[in-house]
Amino acid sequence: MLALLRIIAWVNTHILRIGRQLAWIALAVMVVVILTQVFFRYVLNNALAWPDEAARFLMLWMTAFIAPSAMRWSGFVSIDMLPRALPRVPSLVLVLILLVMSLAVLVTAVGHGYNHTFGFGGKFDSSSLRVPLDWIGFESVKVKLRYMYGSLLVCVVLLIIVTVELILRSLLTLVNPNAELPANDAPDTMLSAD
Amino acid sequence: MLAFFLPVFLLLLLVGLPVFFGLLLAPGMLLWLNGQERDIALLYRNVYNGMDSFPLMALPFFVLAGELMNKGGITMRLVEFSQALMGHFRGGLAHVNILSSMLFAGLSGSAVADTSALGSTLIPAMEKNGYTRKFAAAITAASSVIGPIIPPSGIMIIYAYVMGESVAALFLAGIVPGILVGVGLMLVVRLMADRYDLPKAERIVNRGQVISPLEGWVSFVLLRINFAGVLAAAFAGVSAFLRAASVADISLNGWLVFLIFLPIAHLLLMRLRSVVSPDFRVICKKAVAPLQTPIIILGGILVGVFTPTEASAVAVAYALIISFGVLRSMQLSDLPAVFMRAALSASTILLLVGAAVAFKTVVSLSHAPEQMAAFILDLSDNPLILLFLINILLFIVGMFLDAGPAIIILGPILGPIFVDLGVHPVHFAIIMSVNLTVGLATPPMGLVLFVASSVSGEKVETISKAILPFLAVEVLVIFLITYVPAISMTIPRLTGFVQ
Repeated sequence: MLALLRIIAWVNTHILRIGRQLAWIALAVMVVVILTQVFFRYVLNNALAWPDEAARFLMLWMTAFIAPSAMRWSGFVSIDMLPRALPRVPSLVLVLILLVMSLAVLVTAVGHGYNHTFGFGGKFDSSSLRVPLDWIGFESVKVKLRYMYGSLLVCVVLLIIVTVELILRSLLTLVNPNAELPANDAPDTMLSAD
Repeated sequence: MLAFFLPVFLLLLLVGLPVFFGLLLAPGMLLWLNGQERDIALLYRNVYNGMDSFPLMALPFFVLAGELMNKGGITMRLVEFSQALMGHFRGGLAHVNILSSMLFAGLSGSAVADTSALGSTLIPAMEKNGYTRKFAAAITAASSVIGPIIPPSGIMIIYAYVMGESVAALFLAGIVPGILVGVGLMLVVRLMADRYDLPKAERIVNRGQVISPLEGWVSFVLLRINFAGVLAAAFAGVSAFLRAASVADISLNGWLVFLIFLPIAHLLLMRLRSVVSPDFRVICKKAVAPLQTPIIILGGILVGVFTPTEASAVAVAYALIISFGVLRSMQLSDLPAVFMRAALSASTILLLVGAAVAFKTVVSLSHAPEQMAAFILDLSDNPLILLFLINILLFIVGMFLDAGPAIIILGPILGPIFVDLGVHPVHFAIIMSVNLTVGLATPPMGLVLFVASSVSGEKVETISKAILPFLAVEVLVIFLITYVPAISMTIPRLTGFVQ
């Protein structure tokens, strides 16, 4: 089991590192896109259609790429009074049950996410987003909605891998309180939003 | 069957399931038991649709602007500025702590950011000045709740989005309540200063500071523009009044008025300059660039130039320009970490909001609000008594849950009931926001108590006791806001954001 955890932890550490890089870049591009919108509307008096949708596209992917890191570092808000108050073993059992519940939600979501992304609705074109291939001599292509819908599906899949890792961690701690678990790559401090 | 889903949901939260999963598991399970499996697909789609929102984007941007300002070293400037204004009173540094929180609130929408930024500078300074550490930590935690009340405010963006209110109206409605909390805390400090003989402090700590020529010019220009703007706005108000009273018609082009007042503003400021000390002047000048942020945000929204989302992006751009161009307090290599922290904390809230939108659709299907409303109306049909009871409920919830998630969960359930009773939606939003924000500083689970504890090294239990007098006055303010709607509603009404 420890070997399995090591593998999953390694995978998570590396995938989520890439995810965090992509997420901060997405946030930076979001700022640029909105500022472009403001500039075109107020300075050039020419309201652009695409920034609104492009920024939402980026925000969805930003969330998909970085939220799993937050979950891995227990950044998902919960009332943890009961798990804290219980003795070690019941507390770990409770945490395990809660993680399994979360996993159930996520696994159910994958099916719906797949249908949402690859089903009928995802085949439609986005109203204003296109890949400007005409800049390099080809015809420009409209972005399909599924490339936006897919963000939540990717998020759910990443969250599942994280949840499996967390379940393995709790199981191992339950069996052996002194087990040497692999690091979770967490920074020293984490800030919450409110 | 659906009626059971609220109790199930509460149970899941109380045993410690993360709110995000609770918001999905409770309705999902009951839809499944009801054989409405097709609706579970709807639940998923609503999470997506809930997150896919332009107004919501203000949230990551305001978090980012706050992080940038904080990293850019403006905290120290605000503290020095507050101290130059209030340091010489009895209990000087306690007043400085409160005023800094109020100023900081205009830059960030987060109580946690406020506590950690101000706590790390002010708590050691207060200890050195002769305050106990627990008092210093308590006043830092108590005053930090002003952060999400004075705009910009993360929880108000969330509330406005989930409940379909105007962000601008909520922002404007939060100004006076936020100031009221600050003034209330200052009164407590004033009373305690007499009783415990709290020390005064120096107004100027670091003498002989210099300001870079570029920053000097930036503050020079900004000060005059703002001051002339205020004078021009006052003139516009007077002329509108005179016209309405048909005494005289002195309406002029707005830009012309502004240009006329610009030299007047300059002369008045030069007059002021001659009566204050050079050190005081430099410290004030150094606070101008950071404090321009709330003016840009609120001014832009008020004048109708920006939507709140655009204003938040402009605030980010301004923070970048100031910290790189004017203050030179940041380096390019600092940026990824700052952006990443903002993305990290915004992402969990965005997921929560998505789940809340999905949850809300099932709440409205379940007839739970009608049953809740019937139950609440059975208690009393007097809105004043019900508001009292609801404040107690919110206060208890706030002790255990952070303001953002609490608003996401309770807004859709409680909001419609009170709006039906005749409470204005914006007024109710402010009652909820202020109450749940104060909950951030209430024992046993208040988030900022834990932050204050980790910043100061004092135990949470000790801070919890020391904070009680401040909490008492905050509770008093909550009731004032509840029973005097004018406190929150006047500014949005005057500016036309609320009918």
